[in-house]
Amino acid sequence: MNPSWLLPTAALLGIYVLCAGCYGMVYALGRLRESRRLMHAAHAFYAVQGLTTLLLVALTPLAWGWKAFLLASFLVYAVIPPLTWRQLERTHALEHES
Amino acid sequence: MTESSAAVFEPGAGDPRFWRDGAIATTVFMLLVLLLLTVDSLRVLTEGGGGNVPAYTVINQKITYEFDAASNMDKPVIGEEELLFGHRYSEAEAKAIMDKGKLVIQSRSCINCHAFFGNGAYYAPDLTKAWLDPTWEKMWMPMTQAKTKEEAMVQFLMHPDRYPTWARQMPNLNLSEEEARAVTAYLKWISSVQTNGFPAGFGRREVAR
Amino acid sequence: MNQSKKLGVQYLTASIVMMGALLLFGLLASIFYLKYGFLLGKLDFNIVKQVHINALIIACLWGFMGAIYWFLPDELGIETVGIGLARLLFWVFVAAVAVVVLVFIFVQYGSSDESGMWLVNQGRKYVEAPRWAAIGIVAVFFTLAYNIFASVAKARKVTGIMGVLMTTMVPLIAVYLIAFPAPTNMSVDLYWWWWLVHMWVEATWELIIGCILALALMKLLGTSRKVVEIWLYLEVALVLGTGILGLGHHYFWIGTPQYWLSIGGIFSALEPLPLLGMVVHAIYDAGKHQMKTHNKPAFLWLIAEAFGNFIGAGIWGFMMTLPQINLYSHGTQWTVSHGHFAFYGAYITGIIAVAYMVAQESRGIREVRGNAWKWAFAGLNIGMVGMVGALLVSGMSEAFIGRALGGSTLDGFMASQSNSWFMQGMIARTGFGVIIVASYFILAWDLATLGRRREKPSPALATS
Ligand code: HEM
Ligand code: HEM
Ligand SMILES: [Fe+2]
Repeated sequence: MNPSWLLPTAALLGIYVLCAGCYGMVYALGRLRESRRLMHAAHAFYAVQGLTTLLLVALTPLAWGWKAFLLASFLVYAVIPPLTWRQLERTHALEHES
Repeated sequence: MTESSAAVFEPGAGDPRFWRDGAIATTVFMLLVLLLLTVDSLRVLTEGGGGNVPAYTVINQKITYEFDAASNMDKPVIGEEELLFGHRYSEAEAKAIMDKGKLVIQSRSCINCHAFFGNGAYYAPDLTKAWLDPTWEKMWMPMTQAKTKEEAMVQFLMHPDRYPTWARQMPNLNLSEEEARAVTAYLKWISSVQTNGFPAGFGRREVAR
Repeated sequence: MNQSKKLGVQYLTASIVMMGALLLFGLLASIFYLKYGFLLGKLDFNIVKQVHINALIIACLWGFMGAIYWFLPDELGIETVGIGLARLLFWVFVAAVAVVVLVFIFVQYGSSDESGMWLVNQGRKYVEAPRWAAIGIVAVFFTLAYNIFASVAKARKVTGIMGVLMTTMVPLIAVYLIAFPAPTNMSVDLYWWWWLVHMWVEATWELIIGCILALALMKLLGTSRKVVEIWLYLEVALVLGTGILGLGHHYFWIGTPQYWLSIGGIFSALEPLPLLGMVVHAIYDAGKHQMKTHNKPAFLWLIAEAFGNFIGAGIWGFMMTLPQINLYSHGTQWTVSHGHFAFYGAYITGIIAVAYMVAQESRGIREVRGNAWKWAFAGLNIGMVGMVGALLVSGMSEAFIGRALGGSTLDGFMASQSNSWFMQGMIARTGFGVIIVASYFILAWDLATLGRRREKPSPALATS
């Protein structure tokens, strides 16, 4: 890691997870309120995470292995909120069954 | 995407036992991997085991820290004989002085100001490579009027309050001369541990204060 | 109230009091960064900091134990077995902690032989307590485990939550014992010491607080057991699936083989994933249940837990967990920033939530009211976020100047510490610390007087 890239890289990594968090949060709010606007906002956050991934891959001096890993995690982050939501609805539906 | 990927959760997803078994399987698997890695790591960590941690008698030799282009990291290099306090430590003597040094370090709670390998506190400098710090020759030897680096270290460790140099000061921890020597030996040994390049560029970089 | 619940109240009270010590000593420690020669030779930084972080460990343990003793009779439907011994040990534990703190402050340093280790100070971060006290803590853990196991056996009822809780007792005790011997070789010493520190805070404690919050959610929101248990199991799988090998992020630089760089980086980079799931979950619950709760502070502190855990452990941890970054950020105020945020977000918030629930129930309060909790909630959270933000600024400048440019020598260190970004961060840290301490007193006052002070009936309630 060359010194001048240390802080920008760390900041990008922080933004990367922050966007994932915002995506998850706004997604959940969007589902809760059944709001299309919020869902668009959620996807916008995910897009910004994508942009951050792109910057991390294209510009920073991280080793290629980490870049591949970040790219793969970026894809996994996409499904976490919907999967969690789906599972939440399924399990909470059980509450009313029994 | 939502609908199809949720299928992963289909088998028995409404049944707590399915999740319980999954949790147990994951945990057991991870623990097994950790145990295997631990066996291997301890081999590498044992002093004088041929891994990353030299035997305690390394204090009889010259230690430097150099950039290794092949592995792209800084590595300690063990050189020719360079005695500590003009004494050649036998294996047993080296072990005894290390045991003492470690206990001094624990009893004075050094790591609640300093750090070793970056673990501890951050109020005072990291001591991993303290033995190799250029300031011993540049600043402390003239200040303590000691003839060797190790003598300067002993002087400083016994009376840090006599040498205020900047915005923070180390307290006098009442080390006896024997204790100060033991800590010095410990610092020399620990600087020889191969740490995957931490700290990077030690002693090769300069910043203006 | 039955004995187990009484003990729960005692432990939680002790935990909240201990948080006061944690904060005061933290604030004191921060002043050393601002003032040359502060208390030098009287009460040095290392001693103050040592009391600070030990208070943290004890406050967390007491908070967990309080919650466990409180919920146990509800969960099993019987009085806890062996509660007499546990109640006796509470006072022994409190007295022992008081003695240890007094010895730290007044004796400070022991002799550099075994007797120093047994009587005064073991000098190992987070577990400085002398050996006699450490053995006492093991005895308390065994009693706790006995209380839980024997009660489950007597009630003949192994609920899923109890199953997980019983399992956590094993690592809780085992890793503490493993870290005991403190070998001369620092690399080996740290190898096992990290089993203790990491396996406690990123595995065992996460599950203990998970069990506690599962019990709390069932009570607070009336969530069904089946739902809660599925979530708990999922959490176990994810937390341990990433956390056990996430241990590797502490094995980058202590002399360990190079493969830990990849293993530690990958698994700890995965750690935010389960935390994100919890954030989604918290919003789901908040949306579906908010109207139903009669304990808003407890509920909001639970939400804060989910967010705090994600941000403090997830984002802050992730920023510095890849080895190429960690090489420079490791062991700077950057680490401190993450440590504060993560501990606060994951544990302190959860314990405060439980404390509100227990205060409500033990005093038969129908609806938690007043404004004090709002001030405490806002003040603590704002103070904490401000403090870790300030630490991050200091830490980043320290990593850049002292490490990346300065090569970590004494000169590099000094340069980093006198840099103006660093210093301003340190000043701001102490400033936010004052806000935190003030808010803590509001919190403690609110918890102490809840249901005992006279209050205007709220208009909403009066009309309904
Ligand atoms: C008034 C608020 C607080 C202040 C001013 C404060 C200050 C400090 C200071 C000065 C240190 C020493 C760091 C160093 O070595 O340079 C420290 C360490 C630590 N504190 Fe605090 N603290 C506060 C609250 C807390 C709270 C609420 C927690 C836990 C939730 C906490 C947990 C820790 C931990 C875990 C460490 C060790 C961190 C490390 O070395 O990486 N502190 N604190
Ligand atoms: C509740 C969860 C967590 C808590 C309470 C916690 C607490 C801490 C504390 C107190 C330290 C400093 C240890 C010391 O040197 O004394 C630390 C270090 C560290 N944590 Fe966490 N942590 C948590 C989760 C995470 C997560 C999820 C990640 C990764 C994404 C992470 C990554 C790290 C790393 C890389 C270090 C080493 C910092 C260094 O190199 O100095 N932590 N953690
Ligand atoms: Fe960790």
